[in-house]
Amino acid sequence: MNRESSGPKPLLLECLWVFLAIVPLSSLAGGTGKEKPVNSGKESTGLNISGELFIDQRIALNNRREWVWNENRLSCKMKKIQGETVRFYGEVWLRNFGVPRPGSVSALYDKGNADPVQAEIREANIQISGFPFKRSDLRIGRQRLAWGTADRLNPTDILNPYDLEDILDFGRHRGSDALSFVYYFNDVFSLQAAYIPVFRPANLPVGIFSGIFESPAVLPGGFPVISYSDTLNFPQMRQFKDATYGIRLKGLAGNVDFSVSYARAYDGLPLVSENRIFPATGQYGVHIQSTLSFLRNHMIGADMATSIGGAGFWVEGALFIPEENFIMRTDLSSLYPQSPVSLISDSLIVCTSQPVLKFIAGMDYHFRNSTYLNLQYLHGFIHEKTRNDLNHYLLIRFEKRMFNDRLNLAPLSGAFVFSSLNRLKNQYALVWMPQITYSLAGTTDISLSGIIFHGEGNTVFSGLKRRDMLRFTLNYFF
Amino acid sequence: MKTKHLVKGMAFLFFILETVYLSAQDAGEILRKVDEVMYSAKDMSGVQVMELTDKNGKTEVREAMIMQKGTEMRLIRFISPASQEGIAILSLPGELMYLYLPAFARERRISSSAKNQNFAGTDFSYEDLEARAFSSKYTAKMIREEENLFVLELTPINSSGVYSRIVAHISKMEYYPEMTQFFDQAGNKIKEARYRFSKVGKYWSPDEIKMADLKKSHTTVMRLKEVKYDTGLTEDEFTIRKLVQ
Repeated sequence: MNRESSGPKPLLLECLWVFLAIVPLSSLAGGTGKEKPVNSGKESTGLNISGELFIDQRIALNNRREWVWNENRLSCKMKKIQGETVRFYGEVWLRNFGVPRPGSVSALYDKGNADPVQAEIREANIQISGFPFKRSDLRIGRQRLAWGTADRLNPTDILNPYDLEDILDFGRHRGSDALSFVYYFNDVFSLQAAYIPVFRPANLPVGIFSGIFESPAVLPGGFPVISYSDTLNFPQMRQFKDATYGIRLKGLAGNVDFSVSYARAYDGLPLVSENRIFPATGQYGVHIQSTLSFLRNHMIGADMATSIGGAGFWVEGALFIPEENFIMRTDLSSLYPQSPVSLISDSLIVCTSQPVLKFIAGMDYHFRNSTYLNLQYLHGFIHEKTRNDLNHYLLIRFEKRMFNDRLNLAPLSGAFVFSSLNRLKNQYALVWMPQITYSLAGTTDISLSGIIFHGEGNTVFSGLKRRDMLRFTLNYFF
Repeated sequence: MKTKHLVKGMAFLFFILETVYLSAQDAGEILRKVDEVMYSAKDMSGVQVMELTDKNGKTEVREAMIMQKGTEMRLIRFISPASQEGIAILSLPGELMYLYLPAFARERRISSSAKNQNFAGTDFSYEDLEARAFSSKYTAKMIREEENLFVLELTPINSSGVYSRIVAHISKMEYYPEMTQFFDQAGNKIKEARYRFSKVGKYWSPDEIKMADLKKSHTTVMRLKEVKYDTGLTEDEFTIRKLVQ
């Protein structure tokens, strides 16, 4: 596929780069001395370390009662304020994750196979306040660039790659190695520009959730698939052409917080751009060799949040305009080598003339008896790319807090998914996640929840039917 | 004879009306003086230590940094316990409130119904902690005068609040509240706060506020330490920019 950019040149980011390059770093040390420091009164602090021990264990509610999730995570957050303007923030995860599956005795010589351990830098950045202007902040390094005002499911939040490892942890993103510049016009209006030079894809769900974003291959003649292999066509790393960047204007008008945003970014989940089908030798069936590529979009986003009659309301939408048509090629010529006609066909998957609008609308309300209701409607989940793919998601969370917030009961929590009202019977999914959480002395939260899947058809969660589980989590904060 | 009775009746009515009017005016004036005492400093900063005690005597301690400017700007940021460290609440004019949760790396607008809720497990509601002058939220009526106290009944101007009325015991000498009693929409007394003030520089400062939830038999003692007044905090300190840092 031709991946040359047809979109606008990233002029703004180039200007920003150049500007930052020529501004002398000496201005960090106080500039002209005429400007009042932004963080007046702040003093240098030592390195502040806090963190969390998070234990997440899940057991399948099937006959085998196997452990389907095992995570012991130690997250450390480090913070240091240097002088009046410089702040360091870092977050590291160290964890045992998954279950050991060594394939041979030799694998046991590697402790990593016997006891899988992962280390991950989630964030590590420096923020310089009041630089290069009094009313601007510059942040450099691995960081989270959280866009949108909706509750956890944010269609405009696309700068950081999705961390889809645990599909139940909606909205989790990884940090990106980025440069972020925010200019504050006044107390309520700000403009943010972000630049991420290196594209990083989303990481896919693992364990019991692996494969839930994959669609089953439908082959002519009903051939069984003997094997499948794929190649990932990864974007090049050209300075600006393949970079992710975006700009966001944020403000308050009347009683409404709002933002409008633009981003040019690769979608973190690849699409199949080519399928080559080969006959299996000595068996009835085929091998499929796929090539997957990443689609690049222009995203135009808007969001708002307000409070009406005591209730909170928010709406957030993102219009995804593909930078070029995305075509999937299917090659059956190896399957029928004697065919007199060409067996290579192209299908238009995503079209530049058909932008895709994903949006979410939600509300929440705190009742006087310590109950809380949160309702959201989402049109278009993370992995849904075309207009025809977009499903409807109704999400609900109803909580009751007791004993001075120590006990939190969420009997009604989950989602109902459907593709259209006409196909409600055979194309839907229901996820119910009742939860009970107890907090001990402000340092420890213990939670027990059930996760029940039900559904029909091929929505993302109906594929999880019969994978119900019981989940136990413990958070210890230090 | 009829005229005499009419004149007497009118005089009595005038006396009653004047008494009611003066009483209302006095109560409003007293409330404004309370606001002057409570919010006379241009700005304030300090550390709030909140000690929560349940009916079994079990205690928990929470600490937060607090900054306030005028009557309508306030920023509270938790220092401890660890589970709440970094959580911050920004209160701005126009009933705007924002909550910052570090785990989500973004601020969230708090709906006004959240003001009914208890603040971080304490016996104070978000509304109790709002940085707004009493006189802008309540109309005052004098109930009675005691030797050293005015006893006022405060009725919310906006009925959507937590309380149907508040009975406030105000020091006659210094015009700070010594005790307030809070009544729910059904008219039941649900909470009671007792205050201890001391002079810091030229201002009366609430050293300690003890709030008791009478239904739950739960108390929160809020102490203010390292308090500083008029340090020149600017409006820049009370912005989303500062909230998310």
